[in-house]
Amino acid sequence: MDNNKKVWFITGASKGFGLSLVKQLLDAGQLVAATSRNQEELIKAVNTPNNNNFLPLQVNLVNEASVSLALQHTNETFGRIDVVINNAGYGIGGAIEELTDKETRTAFDVNVFATLNVIRFVMPYLRKQRSGHIINISSIAGIAPGTGWAIYGAAKYAVIGLSEVLAADVKALGIKVTVVAPGAFRTSFLTPDSLSMTENPIADYVDVRETHAKYLKMDGEQAGDPEKAAASIIKIVGEENPPLYLLLGGDAYNRALTKLDSLYKEIHQWEELTCSTDLEHDLQIK
Amino acid sequence: MSNKKVWFVTGASKGLGLSLVKRLLNEGYQVAATSRSLSDLTKAVGSQSEQFLPLVMNIKNEESVQNAIELTISTFGKIDVVVNNAGYGLVGGLEELTDAELRDNFEVNVFGSLNVIRKALPYLREQQSGHILNISSIAGFTGSFPGFGIYCATKFAVNGFSESLAEEVRPFGIKVTIVQPGYFRTNFLSEGSLITPKNPIAAYQNVRDIQDFHQNSMDQQQVGDPEKAAEAMIRIANAPEAPLNLFLGADAYELANKKIAAVQSDLENWKELTTSTAIA
Repeated sequence: MDNNKKVWFITGASKGFGLSLVKQLLDAGQLVAATSRNQEELIKAVNTPNNNNFLPLQVNLVNEASVSLALQHTNETFGRIDVVINNAGYGIGGAIEELTDKETRTAFDVNVFATLNVIRFVMPYLRKQRSGHIINISSIAGIAPGTGWAIYGAAKYAVIGLSEVLAADVKALGIKVTVVAPGAFRTSFLTPDSLSMTENPIADYVDVRETHAKYLKMDGEQAGDPEKAAASIIKIVGEENPPLYLLLGGDAYNRALTKLDSLYKEIHQWEELTCSTDLEHDLQIK
Repeated sequence: MSNKKVWFVTGASKGLGLSLVKRLLNEGYQVAATSRSLSDLTKAVGSQSEQFLPLVMNIKNEESVQNAIELTISTFGKIDVVVNNAGYGLVGGLEELTDAELRDNFEVNVFGSLNVIRKALPYLREQQSGHILNISSIAGFTGSFPGFGIYCATKFAVNGFSESLAEEVRPFGIKVTIVQPGYFRTNFLSEGSLITPKNPIAAYQNVRDIQDFHQNSMDQQQVGDPEKAAEAMIRIANAPEAPLNLFLGADAYELANKKIAAVQSDLENWKELTTSTAIA
């Protein structure tokens, strides 16, 4: 096998970043296994007839057996798996009180538990190889969440948390981890197919409605270029020391910096109370 | 009815929840406290006071949560402070934990708190007041806890929804604080509290070492005083201005600062690539 050819496994590939990634990688002659809920849609979207470098897979990411089978299929077809991109996900809008327990859990199914399914079942291959790069697509909402998107933010925060720990846990096995936090990109993310909004709005939540309207108006106007995002993600895979955090977009950069600044200020403002809770010195050592 | 605040505290039969409930009762507050086991709770709290309403509640079940909140309202007439304290630790590599094992950690640490928030908010909105304290962890702010990937993910999730929640409910006069303790001397790391993988994988020796350290060296050696944590929570619930993020413990303080610096450093080092993605 050509040394420059890597095997990529990309979830949620029939649109958005996933689709841009798959197309750019195939253009560059890479070997790509891509998943979607709907194989037909995926094949149509990628549109690369008779290309043996492309393995389109119909996968239900919430189902462990389906995920396990897809990875097995990828390994059998291409002989290895080098890069895993957990890209599948969708947005969910609504105040916490407006979203049911069921809607909340469903948002975590795809945005969190599916990613964990892929990690759980790909690790045996990566461990055996003693190499690999896991890239989890979170969001700037995983660092600085928006009003009215609490559950989406929670899911994306969770992805950042698990990525940070995973990076430390698998480093000794030669496996790298990067968590990507994009800002607003001109994908189909803000269309009904990628976004689920509360079915039971409560009149009191005027601010939430206003924020939602503002976001939805951004559809088609987002400053970020998905092709450039895909190129950036591909670029860090080639790096000797890739970042744990990769933000994408000037908006993401600014939102993260502002958030970190306000956290820093808050931590210092409350330092005295924070540092007042340790046991008296003679009680510390038992 | 006393003019003191009414508190609703989940997971109150041990740990920080128990310390908090005891102190609140000593200070004359009205306290509804929940646990999976009523007998464990009443035994642990040991109070016959009318100010104390012990409640059996299954936090994973919306109906059970709704009942507990309604009982609190019918007993004390209002709820001023909601403390989402119920939660437990899970240690294990991501590969080692099954879908079922890790989902249960989310059930309690994330979806349980969301159930309480969802069911309490109609009352707080009606009052146009209230304070929700979500007990997260320094592990919800930094993933510098190898082997605790799922636990960190659950606590990151709590931090995430709490940040948004604070904005959602600000117009109603409701405050939100994310309490993020470091290591406190509770039974959090003790047998029966800290959950470990049913099917450990030999390759994760680093995770086993971490597990062993927490179970055998850190347990009951933590420097944080649960009594002082309880005192700090009561203080911020009474303060005119409460922080959104409240870290507890010098260890948490140090780790939080390190985390901010680490992300800032990634941001700066990769700024060029980050900002190269705008549509031309």
